[in-house]
Amino acid sequence: MAIYGSAGLDASAGLRPVAHRALRSFTSLLLVSLLAILLTATANAQSLQRLTVTQLTLTADTATPRIEIPFHLIVTAHVREHITELDNLDLPILAELELLGSERTTVASRSGSTYREIITVVAHHSGAITIAPVTLDATDARNGKNFRYSSNSLTLHVAGPGAAIAAAGNAWQGLNSFLSALVRLALILAGLVGIVFLVATLVRRRPAPLPVVTLAPPTPIVRDPQTSLREALTVLQRDRTRAGAMRARHIVRAMVGATDAETLADVLRRPLATDPEVRNLLRALERAGFTHDVDVPPAVAAAIAQLERMTR
Amino acid sequence: MRNDGTGPAIVSRALERTIVGQEGVIEGLLLGLLCGGHVLLEGPPGLAKTLACRSLADALHGEFKRIQFTPDLLPSDIVGTRIFDQRESAFATVRGPIFANVVLADEINRAPAKVQSALLEAMQERQVTIGPQTHPLPDPFIVMATMNPLDSEGTYALPVAQLDRFLLKVDVGYPSRAQELAILERFAIADAPVIAPVATLDAVREWRAQAHSIHIDDALKRYIVELVVVTREAQHPAIDYGASPRATLAIANLARAKALLERRDYAVPDDVRSVAPLALRHRIGFNFRVSNDGGATRVLESLIARVPVP
Repeated sequence: MAIYGSAGLDASAGLRPVAHRALRSFTSLLLVSLLAILLTATANAQSLQRLTVTQLTLTADTATPRIEIPFHLIVTAHVREHITELDNLDLPILAELELLGSERTTVASRSGSTYREIITVVAHHSGAITIAPVTLDATDARNGKNFRYSSNSLTLHVAGPGAAIAAAGNAWQGLNSFLSALVRLALILAGLVGIVFLVATLVRRRPAPLPVVTLAPPTPIVRDPQTSLREALTVLQRDRTRAGAMRARHIVRAMVGATDAETLADVLRRPLATDPEVRNLLRALERAGFTHDVDVPPAVAAAIAQLERMTR
Repeated sequence: MRNDGTGPAIVSRALERTIVGQEGVIEGLLLGLLCGGHVLLEGPPGLAKTLACRSLADALHGEFKRIQFTPDLLPSDIVGTRIFDQRESAFATVRGPIFANVVLADEINRAPAKVQSALLEAMQERQVTIGPQTHPLPDPFIVMATMNPLDSEGTYALPVAQLDRFLLKVDVGYPSRAQELAILERFAIADAPVIAPVATLDAVREWRAQAHSIHIDDALKRYIVELVVVTREAQHPAIDYGASPRATLAIANLARAKALLERRDYAVPDDVRSVAPLALRHRIGFNFRVSNDGGATRVLESLIARVPVP
């Protein structure tokens, strides 16, 4: 036992330096890693520009680009500082577009610098494309805090192959696409004709239907202004209150085509409100709708008098 | 409502005789005067901001003082200080330029926060304390502060809470070609004409009382609230925060003043909609997604257009 124990002791004594070395190596590795992370973070923080970003937008020169026709994406950033380059501007990945080139300009003015990057791209597939926002990492010059500025995102609708054929310079490719579209159209038409024929055959086997009376298509109701004016007069004569005035005002505003978003000034600019009598009426109803409580009865009376003049 | 040519429009006509164009500035100054609120004018130099303020004071026979804000300005340079008088062996109070009817705070954002606070506190309280004594400011008392949007170096941006104390903000734009030609003809060979007083300070106090009595219908009050709430609840990507309830009060007061200028004793939706941008623009936190070329104005107009007119 003593020998075993001794041997055991010897063995453990021989292993200890190895364990220490491993531990020391691991610690060193950890320290180096931590140091590297710290250095990277510090370098990142130091590399950010101190900027006062006042604008960061992403636009396109067309909202509906055509397939295979190059178009431009425009990144505009405005900062209050005078700079020659924006260092940490990240453009989105344009997975659905092919990048053809880009051009960057920075213009200094009294209000700062305007950075503009024009990216030329082309779409190979039709449909909606959403482009993620452009981001800019910078240190806010006002408070010294790091900030990631993000522009708007952009959704474009790439026009389909018809537009591409019309626009593409490659005549053979266009002709091929056109012919395949024609074939598809012919197949669809043939299918539709077949369905119609089948339905017609089935219907013919049924007993004869009752004669159908075809009605004339409904004609849009065009209200005579006199009808609206008489209706407004009736409303106001029955209810000589502010609420009645507001209902009559609504009828007259509808008569001249006003929407809910328009004030009297807007309504008076409408072509149907050029008649001085209509303008006087609109003003009288505005007064009846918003004046003092004490002034409502005379205001309503004035509006009724105006309506009576116009409906006489 | 009287229509005898003695209303506040008489001041407006007097100012128009001196200032070419800038109808927005003239109306903004009058609205501020009638509401007893302070006006912030933002625009590049050389657009007759100072002339407009001086002319307003002249037209009212009031006292005008101009304070050029600089980084080394001290609060005592504005409100006043106490100086030891050796003959009397006592401290004498020397009042600062804030003791005037119309005070022009030129380039307010060039002074540090301490000085801005001193001015804005006086604007709010309408009194200043110099040493042991509190002195009321004259009535009417209106501060017109200017800011230059072009230079940002060496400036101290006004905090949101301080911006909120201005009743309205007017964006001063460049004149049209025809107006610039008129300016050339009017001022090229002579200084700006001095305006003869057309109203008294007592008249201003009377107009203010009239403005307070202007009727705003309940439907119009709901419209005002909706206009302010939409700035908070629209969740527009270009807006970080919307306007405070102080904007609601400001729009109501401005709509009353606008109705008075239009010689009505009741406000209509047109009054509210025309003054809403003046009260809202500086109370909304627009972020960097708004472009410099009037982007904020367009966003604000789109929000206002969303609210149905009563």
